[in-house]
Amino acid sequence: MSTAQQQRICSEWEPINKSEYRGIWVYIEHANGVIKEGSLQLIGKARELAGKLGDADVTAVMLGYNLGDLVKEPIYYGADKVIYIDNPVFSKYIPHVYAEAIVYLARKYKPEIILFAGTKRGRELAPYVANSLRTGITADCTDLDVDPKTRDLDQVRPTYGGNMLAHIRTPTRRPQLASVRPNVFPTPPRDTSRKGEVIREEFNEVIDPRGPGLVEVRSVVKGDELPPVEKSDIVVVAGKGVGGPDGVKLLTELAKELGGTIGGSKKVVDAGWLPSDRQIGQTGKTIRPTLYIGVGVSGAIQHIFGMKESRIIVAINSDPNAPIFQYVDYGVVGDYKDVVTKLLELLRNRKKG
Amino acid sequence: MKEGLTIVVPVKAGVPNITAVRFDPVTHNIVREGVPLMLNPYDRNALEFALRLKDKYGGKVITLSMAPPSGKDFLESTVGMGADEAYLITDRVFAGADTLATSYTVARTIQKLFPNFDLIVFGEETTDSTTAHMPAQVASWLELPYVYYAVDAEVDVKNGMIRVTRYLEDEGVYEVYEYKLPVIISVYKNSNPPRDISLNRKIQARLSGLVKSVTNNELKLDTFCVGLRGSPTIVAKLEEAKPIERKKQIFKGSPEEAAKWLLENLVKEGVIKA
Repeated sequence: MSTAQQQRICSEWEPINKSEYRGIWVYIEHANGVIKEGSLQLIGKARELAGKLGDADVTAVMLGYNLGDLVKEPIYYGADKVIYIDNPVFSKYIPHVYAEAIVYLARKYKPEIILFAGTKRGRELAPYVANSLRTGITADCTDLDVDPKTRDLDQVRPTYGGNMLAHIRTPTRRPQLASVRPNVFPTPPRDTSRKGEVIREEFNEVIDPRGPGLVEVRSVVKGDELPPVEKSDIVVVAGKGVGGPDGVKLLTELAKELGGTIGGSKKVVDAGWLPSDRQIGQTGKTIRPTLYIGVGVSGAIQHIFGMKESRIIVAINSDPNAPIFQYVDYGVVGDYKDVVTKLLELLRNRKKG
Repeated sequence: MKEGLTIVVPVKAGVPNITAVRFDPVTHNIVREGVPLMLNPYDRNALEFALRLKDKYGGKVITLSMAPPSGKDFLESTVGMGADEAYLITDRVFAGADTLATSYTVARTIQKLFPNFDLIVFGEETTDSTTAHMPAQVASWLELPYVYYAVDAEVDVKNGMIRVTRYLEDEGVYEVYEYKLPVIISVYKNSNPPRDISLNRKIQARLSGLVKSVTNNELKLDTFCVGLRGSPTIVAKLEEAKPIERKKQIFKGSPEEAAKWLLENLVKEGVIKA
């Protein structure tokens, strides 16, 4: 280890002693008193990694204002410790301010691993934190493992259009950072009898007074509009085969009944039957819901690219030779209108009965 | 008083997904030399964002990219779209860089060549690496505020202030940030549909040498901070992604039976509550 440290490194990196770094951190994202599912899932994964390392704690890191009892929640999901800062400075989310606070805590406590949920905000914060600590980071991992001998984190992510999986390591620097896609790991059970340590930290760093920061927040999710395709566990996707806006309307009913959302293939979006932010595929969104139902979707490879990691894939299509049937768990050959209408009927009867 | 805005748009030459990619057998890094490169499509949204600000407030838009010498070609297309100048950062010592080393090279180059920049505008991510690291990492090197997923901005040139509107797709929320310039922005990939590339301007760019190359002779960056040596991450292993095994059960029959069969299976799989 000492020879590695004596090796010449970038003049802007501080030399580090790897053995001083211990423990796994999970950055806890929360809003309106609720912790994001992706963060809870990482506590579960961190627990497993800590078990493999033998002598590592799982610590949840939280920033916020008036956090109250929320700071105990990570313990119930498996964390050994919570380190938090409760300060008016965090009443508004400002990326560089949040990132600097995490950097400050990481410098003080020296964790060997820091995990972020790969939400929009998580993916914004994590690289700044890694960079300021002069260490490596891997984005959007789909799996994680540790090597108990070297204590290196094995960070697995799809690359080059999803055809390859890269295993990325940070052998010479600590901490090791990764963001992880939500929903790749299960949420651990909540156990309120679990006990752990809760540590309050202060943050007195001077914040660069470069403006008021966040000045306005506007919510755009209207009451009657279904959630964005990336956010939903169940996505019903309309293909060209649904014939027009009426077909999309029928599928939207199905999506609502299932508690999911509606998406479309490129052809459907190009035809103007759905807005472009609902397009699934290589030039649209990549989704990995629990359930994908493609209706009248033929299954062009560009579309498959955007949904092939869904847990269960269902297709309804009148053409038995449609390529999508190569990718399904359950396929129905038939007229979609009849099948979907019957399916809706069954679902509604179930609710009544 | 300064006139207009100086906007730097770092762009990336991506390897198209359809290209048969080769990997270096030792470093597992993708081989970019001799591969046809294309401008990362989301960088065009970023360039459009920058050009709209220039149209409104005046100033100039400068694109820059770290790439092999063949990158000159796609930088000409950024001039074709409307950039005023373009810079190709190209040197063997920069090869094999991960995002930390790349962001270092880009950040220090911007400081050296355009110390009075007002804005750095990035695309949301690249289609070939999809890390979205660069904007935050460059912000960290330059110690500047930054905001991802921007869809729009208004500038108060006189007071050097900017109001950035950004869209958080997963929360369905718009947020507005106000900062003193300079700041770093990354542009939401589904916003700012890019204008066409003018072939005339592209040819003009070539004829008048609007794309300039910069090597480490000029930049004089510590060679331990760049390229492979400045990269803390290594690709330890690359493997073919195994497609998820599918059950491929196909049902043919009456709509009633089909609907019943589907529902039963989805309940059995636990994806619909029993």
